[in-house]
Amino acid sequence: MAVKITVQELHAGYGAVQVLHGISIEVRDGETLALLGTNGNGKSTLMKCLIGDVRPNLGQITLEIDGVRLDLAQLSTNQIVDFGISIVPEGRRLFPQLTVEENLQLGAYRKAARAKISENLDYCYDAFSILKEKRHQPAGSMSGGQQQMLAIARALMSSPRILLVDEPSVGLAPIMVSQAIAKIGELKERFGLTVVMAEQNFQEAMRIADRGYVLVHGEIALAAETAAELKNSDLIQQLYLGT
Amino acid sequence: MFSFELLFEAVVFGLLVGCFYAAISLGLSIAFGLLDVPHIAHAAFLVLAAYMTFLLGSYGLDPLVAAVLIVIPFFFFGVLVYRFYYEAFEKRGADAGVRGIAFFFGIAFLVQVFLSMKFGLDQRTVSAPYIGRSLELGDMRIPWRLIVVLCVAIALTVGLKLYLSKTFQGRAIRAVAQDAWALRIVGANPVLTKQWAFGIATAAAAIGGALLIIVSPVEPSLDRVYIGRTFCVVVLAGLGSMSGTLVAGLILGVIESLVLTMFGASWAPAVAYGLLLLVLAIRPQGLFRQ
Repeated sequence: MAVKITVQELHAGYGAVQVLHGISIEVRDGETLALLGTNGNGKSTLMKCLIGDVRPNLGQITLEIDGVRLDLAQLSTNQIVDFGISIVPEGRRLFPQLTVEENLQLGAYRKAARAKISENLDYCYDAFSILKEKRHQPAGSMSGGQQQMLAIARALMSSPRILLVDEPSVGLAPIMVSQAIAKIGELKERFGLTVVMAEQNFQEAMRIADRGYVLVHGEIALAAETAAELKNSDLIQQLYLGT
Repeated sequence: MFSFELLFEAVVFGLLVGCFYAAISLGLSIAFGLLDVPHIAHAAFLVLAAYMTFLLGSYGLDPLVAAVLIVIPFFFFGVLVYRFYYEAFEKRGADAGVRGIAFFFGIAFLVQVFLSMKFGLDQRTVSAPYIGRSLELGDMRIPWRLIVVLCVAIALTVGLKLYLSKTFQGRAIRAVAQDAWALRIVGANPVLTKQWAFGIATAAAAIGGALLIIVSPVEPSLDRVYIGRTFCVVVLAGLGSMSGTLVAGLILGVIESLVLTMFGASWAPAVAYGLLLLVLAIRPQGLFRQ
């Protein structure tokens, strides 16, 4: 009962614009993996490849889940979600005119999640009391931070094995960023998830990450096996701490 | 000349006719209101369904039984029409709306030509125990056919409302026009969702068509009479709200009936377009936008 994603020599982009140039990474069972790097270096494109939103030009993405091997590059987004990968997308992408509760119920659309819908809903309301309070309000009427919580909760409603989180800090006040990141860490433990998080805010990401990769110009500039190794690397000093 | 009794009667008939307007608009409320498909062939589908009801009626079937029988073929007809529209227009992206209008105008025209060729230009009617008789309430005589329409309209509205709010597929239908990509990341296929929903919209039009021939005789070009009214109801309701559609139908029915009583029958058809323009100018989001 293990999950693993292996990305090998991935080249991808948008039309003539190549963004990823031969990326190889590994996502291991039960870890929190951080994809770091400043804006425009390919973190989000890599996330989009993992969820089937961008088709790679070259290379392989293999998902191993409970002994079954799948080629993610050949599957559509909704099929990938059906296999137990869920995403908290950049920009949240909620259904603004549906209520908070309806957004959560839609999160449980995939067949495997429908049986657990009431259990998961109870858990989400327990973990995010603000969502319970506002459950009959349109999602679009909430603040950015609350919407981010809803996006995280909606992703959990599908009972995922692997949770992808794309830039959770974008557009949020610093206090909300801390809360969102802490919540992701907490939920990961509770559900036994494997988490892949793309985040430009290095300090916040490192609060929950076990290890990470740093992307620079669409290539892996650093693969660090521990959080300490990342923090002490010259590259991180250079990118984030301005030395 | 103007009496309270006359006014009361006009309101009662307006409410009954309003139920009919709501019932024939529910399909459009899904197709145009929830899916953003510029389905101007909706009224032609109603007339097509009315003729199919007539056809089954000629074998002795009650129009309500016929309505149930044509629901499934109309569902598949709707699925095919949407698939064609998707492959030819929506998939290619840009200005699907404008080209879509031309596409559905063409379909409406084809339906009309088909009906003229097959059934001729004469008016067609159906017979049933509730057609041609009235319920007498004091001084008022209420046609049974309108009571049947009332029941079907309420059942259809409640049924669709429950379907759209309580089932996974229904919620996905309400979400698909808001953010199709976000629907993918919860594991649903937006194209199949829209295709299924358009099938349901067309199945609702099948029931609406059966009501159409229960209420009045039909002829191939009758869609012209209802295209304005159905769009008026859907826009007045606020796109995609089922209970809003019922209330908007009642509002149109009552206003039309009052205008008819006070100013004469020739003004009645102008009410729908007038109301449509008024709503678009003053409250374009409709009365019940969720």
